[in-house]
Amino acid sequence: MKSFNRFWLAVAVMFVCVASAPAYAQTGTAATDAAATEEAAIPGSVDMSLGVKDTTYVMPENFRGKETGEGDQQWLEDVGYLMQENSDLYNVDAAAIAESAKFAGEPNINWEVKKEDADGNLNTESSDNTNKATNNSNIKDPGYYQVHNGGARQVSTAGGAEGEAVGDSGGESGGESGGSAGGSETASTGNEGDAGAAAGGDAQTVTAQQRIGIEVHDCTAPDVWIAFQEGAGTVNMAATEEALKAQMVSKIIENMGKPFSTDAKDFEDASYIFLEEGEDADRDSIPWEKTARLSIAGTLFNERGAPKFESGKLSSKINQNDYTNHVNVIGGEDKSLKGVYVRRNVPFIIAAISTDNGNKRASAGEVEVRIEDAAGNLVEKDGEGYLFRVPNYPRADYKDQPDYFFATSAVDKDGNLTTIRMPLYVVNTQAAFEGGRNQ
Amino acid sequence: MNTRSILLFIAIIVGLSVSVLAQDSADANKETPWLEGVTIGPHPEELSPVLPLKIYMENGEAIPATLTEDVAITLVADTAIFDPEPPSEYNGTELPDAKWTRNAAVSWFFIDWEKNKNVAASATHQLALNQMVVTPLNPTGKGAITCHIGRKMRYTSPETGKNKGTFANSSVAQDVRVLDITPPTCGLEITVQGGRSGTFWVAENPPNKYPLPKLADVYFSGALVKEADPAAIITVPGLELGANMVVPQEMAAVYVPADAVLNIKLNGEDNYKLDNAKLKYGICKIASGEPVPISPLNASEVALADLTLPENPYLFVDATDVAGNRQVLFVPLIVK
Repeated sequence: MKSFNRFWLAVAVMFVCVASAPAYAQTGTAATDAAATEEAAIPGSVDMSLGVKDTTYVMPENFRGKETGEGDQQWLEDVGYLMQENSDLYNVDAAAIAESAKFAGEPNINWEVKKEDADGNLNTESSDNTNKATNNSNIKDPGYYQVHNGGARQVSTAGGAEGEAVGDSGGESGGESGGSAGGSETASTGNEGDAGAAAGGDAQTVTAQQRIGIEVHDCTAPDVWIAFQEGAGTVNMAATEEALKAQMVSKIIENMGKPFSTDAKDFEDASYIFLEEGEDADRDSIPWEKTARLSIAGTLFNERGAPKFESGKLSSKINQNDYTNHVNVIGGEDKSLKGVYVRRNVPFIIAAISTDNGNKRASAGEVEVRIEDAAGNLVEKDGEGYLFRVPNYPRADYKDQPDYFFATSAVDKDGNLTTIRMPLYVVNTQAAFEGGRNQ
Repeated sequence: MNTRSILLFIAIIVGLSVSVLAQDSADANKETPWLEGVTIGPHPEELSPVLPLKIYMENGEAIPATLTEDVAITLVADTAIFDPEPPSEYNGTELPDAKWTRNAAVSWFFIDWEKNKNVAASATHQLALNQMVVTPLNPTGKGAITCHIGRKMRYTSPETGKNKGTFANSSVAQDVRVLDITPPTCGLEITVQGGRSGTFWVAENPPNKYPLPKLADVYFSGALVKEADPAAIITVPGLELGANMVVPQEMAAVYVPADAVLNIKLNGEDNYKLDNAKLKYGICKIASGEPVPISPLNASEVALADLTLPENPYLFVDATDVAGNRQVLFVPLIVK
């Protein structure tokens, strides 16, 4: 019996311990640790923690060959990451800031994203004053970024004080100004300023901040423009492939890779294949749902030489290891892009350029194009361009003639790839395609 | 003591613990809603130096505790983050081979504590990295200029001997208030029998103009202003925003029948706070530039037949904000 009573006494003691256990809330343990008897000075700033809450799609530190030990996070473009931060500024009470300190209102919390430019300067991309310690951060272009959280809160040592009137413009206001920082007594006609923040006696703003370096990786295949230009009829063929590229460079940058026109009439001088990420909404797709838009424009994409503009969406294939994307276009009789149809005895040149979202499509890059036979042997150029003297289309009529293929590929520095391979047909025609006539 | 007692004891303890913790967690979320969903502690797990920062005026003087709206000041930030090398120790921990690995990133904000909103400062002209022009655009009795600076650094971890990247941080605030120097921008809405109305309102233009005087446009709309086209908006531009805003009759007026009963509604606007005790509106004549009311002040309904109208009556609004900035707007009232 005696031991039984001792047991229940122990239970009672443990009840008391449990009931008075430290709460899950942040109640300022530092102050109790300090156990200072004197009133401590309020610091100008305190430290802050910052991180990603759900790290499912945070890539390993050595992702795509990145150096380890830098502490930077490896993110994928267009993937939203929920950030979280914390600081003693966000506690229930201000004991962790200074002895006897009190908060004089709610914290001000700002989320900022800065991007490093080519000169190493960090420029603000976005700044959001959310007053929340979590924030979804979705960065849509590759590059080096820093996500910054800046926090601030008014802290007072003790007591409260009157708010101050705002302003004396030198007129008659003077002591008549009835303003109150607390906003409680001044009538206001539908205006701001009545938030009524508690006015601390010596309230001062204490700050905290933290940053994370983030390498945002490119998961988008490059945009590619390919121009085919014949030198016949009323068309003045560009002297060289380089000259044709020069015609395209400014247009592809200006149009962010999108077709510069959807009107077939605008493609009488040259025919184009546009392969790009598509509409703005498509451009922000998460890496494993990326698509591409293929547009063909001009007279060379059907055997009749009829001018047209057609557009369609393609799927992109993601590499599950390094999250690079590959947009692959294969043309053929049973495909939407049947092939490119050129005329025998009519010289033509081909040029291709690409832009990449890695630098916001701000510059155009070189893309190799080639015409090859079924065995992969290159077809030699005739001077600056190509010239086929023997038709091979319709294929049933020219079975003895070789198959030709047009192929090109563009790859960005991260390994995202765009490839096109389609039949090239040499049509037996003497008529100008501009008129839509064929022999 | 039997097994049943022990089991009962454990059950009570577990239940009580869960209850206490759940209650405390709920209370914490209620008191700190900004922390909803946060699962990390308030201090960084890895070493991340916090370095002192001072901000002051371009000429080296302290930032005044009172600023004036729309008046720009150039500030300078002073911190060891701009030194050639990072600190070699922090809070007693050695930071061997410490090197900066990125440029400093600097952010300046103006917090209006009365609204708990901040505005990011940005310089339109080229300044040194540690400088910023701050122009407070809205008055407040409780504000703060904050500066946040961070810089990526690398050091050799004493534990592992390997490179380790972290951020050095500096941030500080200067508490200020911002004087209101913009007069109110009030207008009136007049309605008569039959539903015809006329409205006029005031907008500062250009906004945030300094030096003084402030300028404003007065806009008019409604059948009592232009009967042929009530939807048309007539603009009287470039009046000095202040105590003598007289709208020329040839530019705009409010036309009312002689037997009309005017319903008058105030459109009170100020960029901070109106002093409602000083607010006056109604019908007046002008004497020495001041309104002399001829109708009951601030009446929502005025019968013209009850008034002795002067030769040139005006609708007027006389508004003062809590800082003493005064706007008096006179709009010609044409009685037909």
